[in-house]
Parts: sequence; structure tokens; C-alpha cells
Amino acid sequence: MAEMSMTDPMGRQILQPLTATTRIARAVAPWLRRLILWVFAIWCLFPIYWLATMSLKRQVDAMARTPRFWFQPIWDNYLAVISAGDIWGYFGSSLIVALATTAVALALGIPTAYVLARYRFRGNSDFGFWILSTRMTPPVAMLIPFFVLYVRTGLMDTYPGLVIAHVAINLSIVVWLMKGFFEDLPSELEEAAFMDGATYFQAFRQICLPVALPGIAAVAILSFLFSWNEFLFSLVLSNEIRTVPVGLYSFVGYQQVRWGELSASAVLMLVPVLAFVFIFQKQLVRGLTMGATK
Amino acid sequence: MRSSAARSRNRFILLMLAPATVLLAGLTLIPFIVSVGFSLTNYSLTAPNDIAFVGLGNYLALFSSSEFWNAAWVTVQFTVVAVGLQLVLGVGIAALLHHETRAVSALRLIYLLPMAITPVAAVFTFRMMFNPTLGVFNYILKSMGLPAQDWLGSPTMALASLILVDSWQWTPFILLIAAGGLAALDEEPLEAARMDGAGPMAIFFQHTLPMLFPYLAVAIVFRSIDAFKTFDIIFVLTNGGPGIATRTLNLLAYKQGIEFLSMGYAAAIAIVMLIVTIVASQLFLRRVDLFKPKAAL
Repeated sequence: MAEMSMTDPMGRQILQPLTATTRIARAVAPWLRRLILWVFAIWCLFPIYWLATMSLKRQVDAMARTPRFWFQPIWDNYLAVISAGDIWGYFGSSLIVALATTAVALALGIPTAYVLARYRFRGNSDFGFWILSTRMTPPVAMLIPFFVLYVRTGLMDTYPGLVIAHVAINLSIVVWLMKGFFEDLPSELEEAAFMDGATYFQAFRQICLPVALPGIAAVAILSFLFSWNEFLFSLVLSNEIRTVPVGLYSFVGYQQVRWGELSASAVLMLVPVLAFVFIFQKQLVRGLTMGATK
Repeated sequence: MRSSAARSRNRFILLMLAPATVLLAGLTLIPFIVSVGFSLTNYSLTAPNDIAFVGLGNYLALFSSSEFWNAAWVTVQFTVVAVGLQLVLGVGIAALLHHETRAVSALRLIYLLPMAITPVAAVFTFRMMFNPTLGVFNYILKSMGLPAQDWLGSPTMALASLILVDSWQWTPFILLIAAGGLAALDEEPLEAARMDGAGPMAIFFQHTLPMLFPYLAVAIVFRSIDAFKTFDIIFVLTNGGPGIATRTLNLLAYKQGIEFLSMGYAAAIAIVMLIVTIVASQLFLRRVDLFKPKAAL
């Protein structure tokens, strides 16, 4: 296409005349873009879809040489898993550990996060960095002393033992994310409270904490989720008390071929997770990216 | 008067910080010190009373063993390839998503799933899909006329398969951070470049990407540190195998400590990993403006 000098109705020069190829590119681009985005979405969904179909298949369908995309769905796997009952124990253990972990991590983490976000003092950013760096620690560095301590003190195979370990993992995340939420609050909040003669603690307890409730809820959900999903410490620090991931892992070991029942168990353990994702999508994005997006 | 106000302010700060600090110190600093202590001994839970100081013996044994260097190399390959792949994919998809107008919230929700769902459940699903005879991956390959793969059984494929699963799980992490960065970007320089006649590719690489860098730096550091210590995926899919083809430092420390109960040796591996992590995070994260307190009371 020849170079043309064009002017738009306002009389300004249009600097780049469209060549044939860029015209095609512009027409195709939205469709191509949409296609790529949905292919990626399918890739993200596919394992979850596959797990769900496996949980609804009869053994012959699940073990078919040619994987079957169309099949007669059955609920037998779920019924078998539910009536066998092991999974209720796993659910109970996970629930206890995750709830206790969340309560302790929030109770300890929120005050620290508040001060880090709202008060300037010497070493503030070093302190914040130290808190975050505990999240970076390779878990084995903590696991080995924990393991020895637990074996020797009898904390092995106890709920307090598991909760302590999970708090150790989650506390830094709770502090870090809550700090982000407190930073979003306008500082006029406390200034007005101080004018009215509130103490530092009253300003925190009565003014800031209620306003930060949505943030607290989001962090609570994340803490619960991280504890629910945690595998390594739960695996090593207990044999009798099995959280859901450990229970599922023990299934994999023992019953390699019963894919249907395994899949049904896995789907059941994902139910609370998926519920959280659908309800609290926005807060999860912020939490899962460690507060890097707001 | 002023000093008593300052004192009560300081007391408040101290009281608020104390509980979490004491606990975190107790749960991370003390284990760290204990680990360093262990790493200087031949401590083993198989003979817990027969403990002797061996100085740097564990470290010397470690650095002269081929299993350590093999694990280090596997770890580096896994981390670099996985994070590199996730970076390219994540930023690319984020850039496309930035211009998308239809069904954006549905897409974002779907992209969130891999990193939110329980890793063990996802990894178990991949295990079924990787199955050489019954798995859906080989079925798809064969139906496209491609040769079937021994996904987890062959030493070369196993590491690639682990990287595939890690990227499935964590590409969304970089994607979401990059998307957040793009949304917060100042559009003016981009508009100016467009007026100067720069093409979309040139604008992206010369203007958008550099402006996005602070966000990407955070994403890369977090992701690298997490990839460096990956456990669930490797443990459930290959457990370090076949042979030692996918045995990372983390898996090696786990084997030595939890399975063979040689705590001194395992602690030495953990300390080496910890030092690498601290150096990496100090080098990169410190530069990023995440740590400045924003309000001043």
C-alpha cells in the first residue's frame, strides 16, 4: 500500500496510514485475544472438571483405556465415601485445626498489623520485613526442629501441636495482609478520636477495628483456607489426627486404583474451598497475591 | 508532659507488637537457632542420646556429596524454568485480559481457581491424568497423532511434568499481580507513544513493561522463593523420582530428616536453603517500596 498523506475531519495529520495487514490484525485481534483467554481458562478449569467427572464415573468408565467424556453419571462413589465414614474424621480434624489456627493468628496478628500500618517508629520497616521474611523461610528449616521437639515432648499427634505449627505458618500472612487493610483507612479516623480524648487503645479498639471488619473477614477466610490446604506440617506432625489433605494422600497410597472414590473424596474436600472462591473472590485475589494487588 | 505522652505512645506500640513478636520469634527464630545447632552435630533420632559436635562436618559432607549438587541443580532448573514460563504466560495473558471487555469477571474467577484449591487434590488429579495407559493426557496426544509420553516415569519428562503442574497452579499468581499493575498504570505515556506512531508491540515492550516492573519484581521474588521450596507437587507426583531425577533440596532434606531421621545432616541442608532464600529476598525485596509505613500517627 502506498504511503498516503491523510487528514482527519479536524484537519490534523494522521501519522500512520493503515496497511492491509494491520487492518486485518485489528479486525482479528479481538477474536484471537478472546480465544487465547478462553483457552487459558479451559486449561485452568480442566483438571477440576476432570476430577468432577471421575467422581461420577463407574469403575469401568473411570478405568477405560480410552478416557470417556460421555458416560452415565452415578453417585455411588460419593455414597461409598460418605458411608465409609473416614472422610468425616478428616473433615472434623481439618475444621478444628483451621478454626483454631485462624482465631489465634487473628488475635495475635491484628494488633501488630495495626501498629505497623499506623504508627511510625524506629525500625518499623525492618520489623515489617522480618515478619514477611518468616513467610519466606523454607518449611523444612522449621519442620526439623518442630519434629524433634514434638517427638520428645508429646506434642506429636495432638491438636495443639498442629495448631501451633499452622499459626507459625499463617501469622506472618495475617500481619502482612491486615497491615495493608489498615493502611487503606484514612488517618483522620484516629485523629478525630484523639481530639475526643480517646486513648491509643480506644482509638484502635473502638474506632479502627469496627471499620476494618471487612478486611478482618477477608484475612480470616484466607487464614482458614491456607490451614485447610496445608499438607507438609500436617503430614509430618501427626499420624492419628488426619487433616483432609493428609487423609486424601493416605487414600492415594492405599487404594491406588479406586479412582472414583478417591475423586469423590477430593471433590468433597474442595467444596468449602470453592464456596469461598465464589463468595469472596475479590478478597482472595488480594490475599493470594500477598497484598500486591488491591 | 511531652515525654509522658511519648512514653505512653511507646508503651502502646510495644504492647500491641509483643504477642505476635514473641510467638513468631518463638516459632521461627528459635527453630532456626536450633537448626543451626543441629547442623553442627551428628544428631540422629535413631540414636538420640549419642550426640556429638562435628563442627562443619555436615556441611563439608554435603558439599562433597553428589546427591546435594544433583538436588541443587534440579532445584535451580525447576525454579528458573517454572518461574520463567509463568512470567511470560502470566504477563501475556494479563496484557490480553487488560483489553478484554466481555466476561472479564468470569475469566478472573476461573483464573483464580488453580491457586486457591487444595494442592493435594489438584495434584492427585494430575496424577490420574498423567497415567501412561489410562490418563487423559496421553489420550489427547494420541488422538492428535502425537506419541504418548511417560509423564512421570522418564527422568527427563518427570521434571517437565512437575513444571507443567506448578505452572498450572501458579501462572495465575503472576497474572493477577500483573493485571493489578496494568489497572493501576498511568495511561498518559502510553497514549503519547501511540500518538508518536509507535506500534502496539513497541508500546508494550518499551513503555508498559518497564512501568510494570515494580509489580513484576514482587511477583518474581515471591514466586521464586515459593518454587524454591515446593513440596506438595513433587512429593505426591514423583516423590523425587524416578531415581533422583526430581529430588530437589527440599525433598532431600525431608528424606534425610523425616525418613532417615538424620537431623544434623537434614538441618544443614535446611540452613543452606535458608541462607539462599535470605540472600535472594534481601537482594530483591528490599529494593521494592513495600515496607514504608504510609500513615504517620
